[in-house]
Amino acid sequence: MSAAETRSEEITPPQDLVDTRLVLWYFVAACVFLLISMLGGILMALQLVHWNPLAGLELFSPGRWRMIHTNAVAYGFLANAFLGALHWAVPRLTMHRVASQALSYFIFLAWQAIVLLTAAGVVLGPSFQDQAWVAEASRNLGISMSLGAQGLEWGETPFWIDPVALLGLLLVAVNFMVPIAKAKGPLYVTLWYFMAAFVWTFLTYAMGNLLPEYTVAGTSAGAIGGLFIHDLVGLFVTPLGWGLMYYFVPIMLQRPIWSHGLSLVGFWGLAFFYPLQGIHHFLYTPIPMFLQHGAIISTIAVELVVTTVVINFFGTLWGQGRAFVDNLPIRWFYTGMIYYFLTCLQCSMQVTLTFQKLIHFTDWVVGHAHLVMFGVFSMWLFGVMTYLIPRLLNRPWYSHKLCEWHFWLSAAGVLVMASDLILAGVFQGYFWAALQPWDVSVVASQPFWITRVFAGLAMFGGFLCFLYNFWMTWSARSHV
Amino acid sequence: MPAVDQSPANRSLRSARLRTRVTLALAIAILIPSMYGFAGKFYEFLHLVRGESDGAFAVAPILNYLLASGGFLLLLLWATANGMFHDIERPKHTLLDREQQLDAAQRRK
Ligand code: HEM
Repeated sequence: MSAAETRSEEITPPQDLVDTRLVLWYFVAACVFLLISMLGGILMALQLVHWNPLAGLELFSPGRWRMIHTNAVAYGFLANAFLGALHWAVPRLTMHRVASQALSYFIFLAWQAIVLLTAAGVVLGPSFQDQAWVAEASRNLGISMSLGAQGLEWGETPFWIDPVALLGLLLVAVNFMVPIAKAKGPLYVTLWYFMAAFVWTFLTYAMGNLLPEYTVAGTSAGAIGGLFIHDLVGLFVTPLGWGLMYYFVPIMLQRPIWSHGLSLVGFWGLAFFYPLQGIHHFLYTPIPMFLQHGAIISTIAVELVVTTVVINFFGTLWGQGRAFVDNLPIRWFYTGMIYYFLTCLQCSMQVTLTFQKLIHFTDWVVGHAHLVMFGVFSMWLFGVMTYLIPRLLNRPWYSHKLCEWHFWLSAAGVLVMASDLILAGVFQGYFWAALQPWDVSVVASQPFWITRVFAGLAMFGGFLCFLYNFWMTWSARSHV
Repeated sequence: MPAVDQSPANRSLRSARLRTRVTLALAIAILIPSMYGFAGKFYEFLHLVRGESDGAFAVAPILNYLLASGGFLLLLLWATANGMFHDIERPKHTLLDREQQLDAAQRRK
């Protein structure tokens, strides 16, 4: 097909298609929460090498900090950065503004309140728990009231925030679905991913936070918890991440994605095979084996689907490899993709029962978590910010060198952290398999945990470079 | 031996053909074994729900799955019926055209 034939009809974009101020606000909010989360991570890492600077302060006890670390990353950093990028991409892809600008600002403020209240609940909740009025209200309302964290991994948002968070997610879906519904012609793959993410995130959040709290109990609740934690990664973070890559990579490379058909194979594969695989987090638990086997099979199916995505992106880069060196956002994106491939490779091993026997409950999993959450999704979002911030502020980066430092410290830091923890996991697994006392494995883990502190500091240093650069670009001081 | 047509138009036609073939090959190679394994497991789930003592356990995950996937199946059927996959490669060109239009409009401001 010739270029002339494929050329779409000219559509006049509406005035102020993208609210650039809001995109910027979302990025700022994301950075604030990432700063808090990274500090939390460093504190946790220090605690594990017996050097907790906040020892003795109940409010800042490591158990609470750990939840601040994970929740601030998921709902504070990733969600805010994704929302910012969506406010840029959806109107440009559809040529229509979001449903309501006022609603966008309301969602922005409400989302920050939800994240801050979650943090308050996690930190202060347990301290209020013993008060008499809590017990009385619990009796009167007939529900078990735990003011602090909900006892569900990744769903620690206190139960009283859940309905507000669900309402927020519903409003997000409405705000973006209206322009998508107005879009003319066949949809680009990014919009398929986004649409799916809006529906899935709402359903996943409702399932994971409400079912184990109010209906199912025991191991059944465990099974739902398994679906929840994995679906949160696979049905909220993954479709938004892939959707953004399918949008930004062709724009940066100035060439279309290698095969749009293949990208749709990836999308529909994810849609049908992903939702059942969460139980692979709970292999060897009392959850019936047939469910565990089902999760393994659907995981293998998704691994195959992921292959299509990786082939497609590298097919797009083919012949323009130089961009990987010269173009910083492309470098962020493709480094993230290489890490993505590595996490999937790791996943294909860890989903086998043989391998699980060794690595279950070890730091292998923590290494995997950092590789995927930081090495993949955060790197992609840093790439998006590196590209968009100068466009949003209408000026180049204050310092290109600081952009490079950010990239190298992040990419190297997370690689060291993940490899270190993955290796630590293998050692821990063998210690436990050899029936060594628990303490022996803790002592043996020290060198790995010390290494993690330094790797974490490198990642944090990279992020500080980014923050300083962002600040200086915004305040438009002289260029380097 | 007849000379091979090396014109750009012919080259792009050949590369489009290659792309279609690779996409189809990957779709078949990936989706068929995946569907086979997946459908087999799903069939087993349904049996368990009906008969065995562990069956009750499968109800919640299966209902969740059916809820999400049923909706997506309907969406897939609707999209196919509405020609969303007719000219399957077109949207990727539209994306770049629109971006160019938007950037040009921004430069004019
Ligand atoms: C400053 C760098 C960081 C350090 C030092 C750090 C350290 C830690 C520590 C010590 C834990 C607890 C591990 C345990 O319970 O044994 C943890 C958990 C976790 N961190 Fe980080 N972290 C850092 C940055 C990040 C970032 C940027 C992300 C995501 C973008 C992230 C995602 C996670 C996740 C998902 C977990 C939970 C892992 C699991 O439960 O398996 N971390 N981190």
